[in-house]
Amino acid sequence: MARLEFLNRFARNRGALIGAGLILLVAVAALLAPVLYPTDPLRIVGAPELWPGEDPDFPLGTDSLGRDILAMIVHGARATLLIGLFASAVATLIGVTVGAIAGYFGGWVDEIAMRASELFQTIPNLIFVLTIVVILGSTLTNIVIAIGIVTWTPIARMTRAEFLALRDREFVQACRAMGMDDFRIIVGEILPNALPPVIVLSSLVVAGAILFESAVSFLGLGDPNLASWGRLVGDGRLLIRSSWYICAIPGVAIMVTVLCLNLIGDGLNDALNPKLRDR
Amino acid sequence: MASIASTGASARQRAALRLLGRRLVQAVPLLLGVVVINFCLIQLAPGSFLELMTAENQVSDPATVELLRKTYGLDDPIWMQLLKYIWALLHFDFGFSYRQNMPVIEAIGVHLPATLLLMVSSITLAMTVGVAAGVVASMKVRTFWDSLVSVAAMFFYAAPSFWLGIMLIVLFSVKLGWLPVGGMATIGGDGGMLDILHHLILPTLALGLFYAAIYTRVMRSSMLEVSQADFVRTARAKGLSRNKVTIAHVLRNALLPVVTILGVQMGTVLAGSVVIESVFSWPGIGSLLFDSVSSRNYPVVLGIMVLGSLVVIVANIAVDLIYMWLDPRIEIR
Repeated sequence: MARLEFLNRFARNRGALIGAGLILLVAVAALLAPVLYPTDPLRIVGAPELWPGEDPDFPLGTDSLGRDILAMIVHGARATLLIGLFASAVATLIGVTVGAIAGYFGGWVDEIAMRASELFQTIPNLIFVLTIVVILGSTLTNIVIAIGIVTWTPIARMTRAEFLALRDREFVQACRAMGMDDFRIIVGEILPNALPPVIVLSSLVVAGAILFESAVSFLGLGDPNLASWGRLVGDGRLLIRSSWYICAIPGVAIMVTVLCLNLIGDGLNDALNPKLRDR
Repeated sequence: MASIASTGASARQRAALRLLGRRLVQAVPLLLGVVVINFCLIQLAPGSFLELMTAENQVSDPATVELLRKTYGLDDPIWMQLLKYIWALLHFDFGFSYRQNMPVIEAIGVHLPATLLLMVSSITLAMTVGVAAGVVASMKVRTFWDSLVSVAAMFFYAAPSFWLGIMLIVLFSVKLGWLPVGGMATIGGDGGMLDILHHLILPTLALGLFYAAIYTRVMRSSMLEVSQADFVRTARAKGLSRNKVTIAHVLRNALLPVVTILGVQMGTVLAGSVVIESVFSWPGIGSLLFDSVSSRNYPVVLGIMVLGSLVVIVANIAVDLIYMWLDPRIEIR
């Protein structure tokens, strides 16, 4: 019943619905990429620098080498979404763990955790990501971990706040009185109640992670085996005088995806906190 | 009356000094943490930078290599190297960069002002545009103007800054020819203030509009929230006009969350400027960073991290003081 009401409230938010619809489209395109364009998207298929609409075979045109831009965008969606989701998962895992422990135990544990999160807010995040990726190597795993390491702090702070609010409630006290150990109270009792606002934040972290990844790839430090959207923008950069669309199209793809994820996040937020809807 | 005002002012000054002292003390462990984390990270790198350095400068004489190992203290255990590095940092010695053939601090010092200029101009733009747009949207809530501001903020919040920068170049430099494609001064020009400002416009827009979008959203919701507060109703009840209440009471209080966010994001702005510098060939620390990470010139990478974090800490202290100046309630603490 509560779930139905939640869905109803989400569905009433037109922006969130449009966002969810478009993201679904991007996700389907990413999943079906091998079916839609079974050959290597980085293969040369036509004349170079065909503008969008110039040749019906290549609706979004071709790049400087004559590669199909639409094929690269569809395959790039895979790389971009994958990295965004995994990085957000890493950030959520770190953030929830740190935040839960800090909020539940309080005291000096909390103090250390909060100083650590302050530390990671002080280090210029993208510079840190670039350094990690250069030192450990430009692989998918390293990029995902690096982005996770610099984006966990807001999640930790929110989880901590939820745990602080919940840890002395009656149901938790009852568990303690029953002799339940801390781990089971944290994971089994408090966490499920603390999770909804954290999930909303995670959806925004996916958007942030996609922006991070696109910047890393744009600078030429992305995984060389993955043609993510950021890398396509970087590749097209030298041709802005003659064929700026090569740069523009993947950028629009990033922007629309991030925009939709933000809309979904806003929608979830409004649905969870109906009181704040007017703001 | 006058004496009360003056003691009030000096009490605030004392409070500001106390805050400053506390923040400076807190900055020490923070900086230490930055040094330790980055030092450990660099130890994870495969191969030492000595190998690259000797290869690049075609040094093969074992005696010279041995001397270099000694000079850079590479034979010491890692904790010893770390302690030596921290000790040197206390004397503002960041080590020596063989690529620029100058101390690291000088190499960074050459590039840092350009980055700071870009940061300051972008934050100024973001603050001005964000606060103005947020105020307009909140005063015309649920009208065409409100929607227009919200939609614009949504787009700029989602656009990758480097891509926005390239698109600005396409429009204003390639198509219209109004503004330079990149660099900080015209080659062969007089390098005057106006010339630099001319070059600063596009990078500032590319970096600043993202933050303007954030501040717009926060400012709008904060204005709406504050305007419901009791003291605002009291001010209206006293018979003050709507505009006067908005400016004198709502605006000042609504600015507080925006200032908080500004502090939290200082590190992001610095990092973001590195990307924008690469788009516009802006001669800041970005180019130095890329050169240093790709050549494994770790003393410089470490130095950029430490100095970058120091910039963030100093900026945060400044933000705290601004916050205090804006919020009269803080004085009591």
